[in-house]
Amino acid sequence: MMEQKKKKAINRLQTMYPLRANIDKMYERGVEASKTGKPTAWCMVNWWEADPILKAMDVEVVYPENYGAVCAAFGTAPAYLDRSDADGFPTHMCGYARNCIGYTSRMTELGQIPPEAPMGGMAKPFLLLCSGALCDARYKWFQALGRYLDAPVWTVEIPHIGVAESQDPATRAQVIKFMVKELGEFVKFMERMLNKKMDWDKLAEVTDDLIKVNRLWHEINELRKARPCPMHSRDFWSCMNASLYPAGDPKESLKLYQDMYTEVKDRVDKKIGAVANEKYRMLFAELPPWHDLKIFDELADRGWNFVVESWAYHPAKPIDTTKVSNPLERIAAETYHWLTGYFDEAYKAKEYMGYFAYPYLEWARTYQCDGGLLHPLLTCRTATNHLMLIQDRLLNKLKVPTLVAEGDIVDLKLFNHAETMRKAETLEEMMDHYKQKRRDEGLEW
Amino acid sequence: MVVNRKGIERIKEIYQDRASRAQELKAGGKQVMGYLCIYPVLEMLTALDIVPFRILGQMSEPITKADACLPTIVCPFIRSTLDLGLKGKYDFMDGVVMAHVCDVGEKTSHIWRTYLNPPYYYFLDVPHTTHLAAQEQMKEQIKTLRQTLEDFTGKKITAAKLKQAIDLHNQQRALVRELYDLRKPDPPLISGAETLQTMVALMSIPVAEGNDLLKQVISEVKQRKNKLSKKPRLLIWGSIIDNVALVEMIESAGANVVMDDICVGSRAFFPAVAQTDDPLDGLAYRYLVELKCPRTFREATYGETKKDYIQDLESRFGYIKEYIRDWNVNGVILQAVRYCDIHGYEVPAVRDYLDHIGTPHIYLEHDYSEAALAPLRTRVQAFLELLG
Repeated sequence: MMEQKKKKAINRLQTMYPLRANIDKMYERGVEASKTGKPTAWCMVNWWEADPILKAMDVEVVYPENYGAVCAAFGTAPAYLDRSDADGFPTHMCGYARNCIGYTSRMTELGQIPPEAPMGGMAKPFLLLCSGALCDARYKWFQALGRYLDAPVWTVEIPHIGVAESQDPATRAQVIKFMVKELGEFVKFMERMLNKKMDWDKLAEVTDDLIKVNRLWHEINELRKARPCPMHSRDFWSCMNASLYPAGDPKESLKLYQDMYTEVKDRVDKKIGAVANEKYRMLFAELPPWHDLKIFDELADRGWNFVVESWAYHPAKPIDTTKVSNPLERIAAETYHWLTGYFDEAYKAKEYMGYFAYPYLEWARTYQCDGGLLHPLLTCRTATNHLMLIQDRLLNKLKVPTLVAEGDIVDLKLFNHAETMRKAETLEEMMDHYKQKRRDEGLEW
Repeated sequence: MVVNRKGIERIKEIYQDRASRAQELKAGGKQVMGYLCIYPVLEMLTALDIVPFRILGQMSEPITKADACLPTIVCPFIRSTLDLGLKGKYDFMDGVVMAHVCDVGEKTSHIWRTYLNPPYYYFLDVPHTTHLAAQEQMKEQIKTLRQTLEDFTGKKITAAKLKQAIDLHNQQRALVRELYDLRKPDPPLISGAETLQTMVALMSIPVAEGNDLLKQVISEVKQRKNKLSKKPRLLIWGSIIDNVALVEMIESAGANVVMDDICVGSRAFFPAVAQTDDPLDGLAYRYLVELKCPRTFREATYGETKKDYIQDLESRFGYIKEYIRDWNVNGVILQAVRYCDIHGYEVPAVRDYLDHIGTPHIYLEHDYSEAALAPLRTRVQAFLELLG
């Protein structure tokens, strides 16, 4: 009976499995492509700025950040981290980066993909594609791979205008103009690299497909506002990579997300929750402990349903860019909107960290959260900088208490499962207290 | 207050209480503007007769207030600046020009505004690359900075005032180079600690006043009778040093720090603004391309389709080789504040480059506190023994 109960703690979506399987084929496809002479690029999550261009030019793409999570889950990360440390990279740096550096160092030494590499490993790249989005240090990481690889590095630009500065109507136009110019240069660079011309019709089609994927994924997540919440964060994380990276053929992803929408909508209609007895509606920030996801099952046993999470992994609120004929301009407009989509509301609320921090304030309200689990990552400044601010704002503005559990994305030594569970009990008392307080203050939930 | 002290004495006085002169000027009716790191365009402030005041940390002051809004695993220097802000130590400033200097710097800028809400605030979003389009974008950012400053002060930055400001800052940059030339003889005429104090002082007073002070310092140092003794000559590379404790520790271990590649030093002062038809072009180029902080992505050749590692290192760090040659450097101390990712990624590459050109080096990591420096002393001593 106990065994059966544990399995049912989180009611996983059935449509998640084929979606996740399709995502997981990414590495296999990269290795296979490499064997047939097809170019493979290593690419950072770039929030759909470079992805459409790479896909339109028929480049196979793998994502070392995602591979860091894979290595963490498969237990191969520690050896790669050690190798990075031995090569002289400081230990406080990004776990994904150190995993990738260690992996690359070993691959270079062996002259082939390391045999222990999970999911077939990452094929040797012909290009390293960086993005300055959110985490500046990432382009330093790919630049550092120059010790091991002769692949060129390209960095796509995305401005990070301040919340108040974004209110000037001229700013958006200026930023889009800059991004379009830079994307144009990137296209020219890719044409030189591949010795072929961009197929602009194909780029327009891929761009459109990716926008549709993101729109549908957004709509699925909107359904999670229902009580009880039909989809747990575990399913979000399992499926986000078809949108975020975006892994796989967008047309296939669209079909799989459509199936998921149908299932989630059905659960909403039938009032089926992702957790049997939803007692606490939770938000999670930012990256989860990939090597200890089972903790969410234990929390689900206590009635914790994670209803929203990880702002940086969510697509933007949809906007209509169908009238924009230049695909580069459409790409720029969509990515800029993803970054700044909450700025107007943030400005009105005098919250000046319009991405990362402010969306959680809006979500806590619209998803009616009782509490939050904040996960500062000891090797990731980007996912951690804003967590104290969020904690303060959630509690003082919305009376939503949070628990801080330190950990890491890759280094499993840094997350204390038992202590987190102990803290969870304390948070429950606070959540009960603040639920009453919210009512006293006239808040909606 | 009448300023009696001159030259190095005055430098030390400002260094010890760096806000005092700015507060005095403020009391006399001047506006004082804080700025983060080296990317805010100081010429715009000077053109409006605003005192630029660099926001620095305080190594000896425990961080207490900032813990509530910035996690402990981010750059302790940045945490210290925010801590001082939250404690009211920067309340005399009329506003701040923050910048997208690095990830933590960017986020802290927004946190600064959220909690401190200064009367004037501008966030300069510095592009990540040095591409031509990025230079144009930088120019647009500078234009907006100018506009917001004009709106705030109610004054116009005329072409003549801007040119005058550029000239004044360029004059300061030339004087700093002249001062650094006094570190070229063996032994050097000025210590690394005194040089650092001078740089901190220059970042705390109006540029014209700084220029006068620099002239006094240069004249005084040239006439010095008590010379330093000959010791191994070191270059310090890395993240910010705004307190003499680290440099004093190294020099007291038996070395002369004769050159630096840090942002309270040559990185901030060596590049001058070129004269261009539109002065904003020169400013954008100087602040985006010429400043050599690793926060900016640079490639050896724009759009290269194959990476040549040594060529890449040469293009990124070739200037360090020139420093080593011109200042006759025996060894390099690479240092970084813990959690400074942009310097952390750079360390193996700089080490590779120094190996390539045959210069001994050591890497030190510290947590921006005086107490943590003692264990590093042994490592520095061992390095100096290696240099002979």
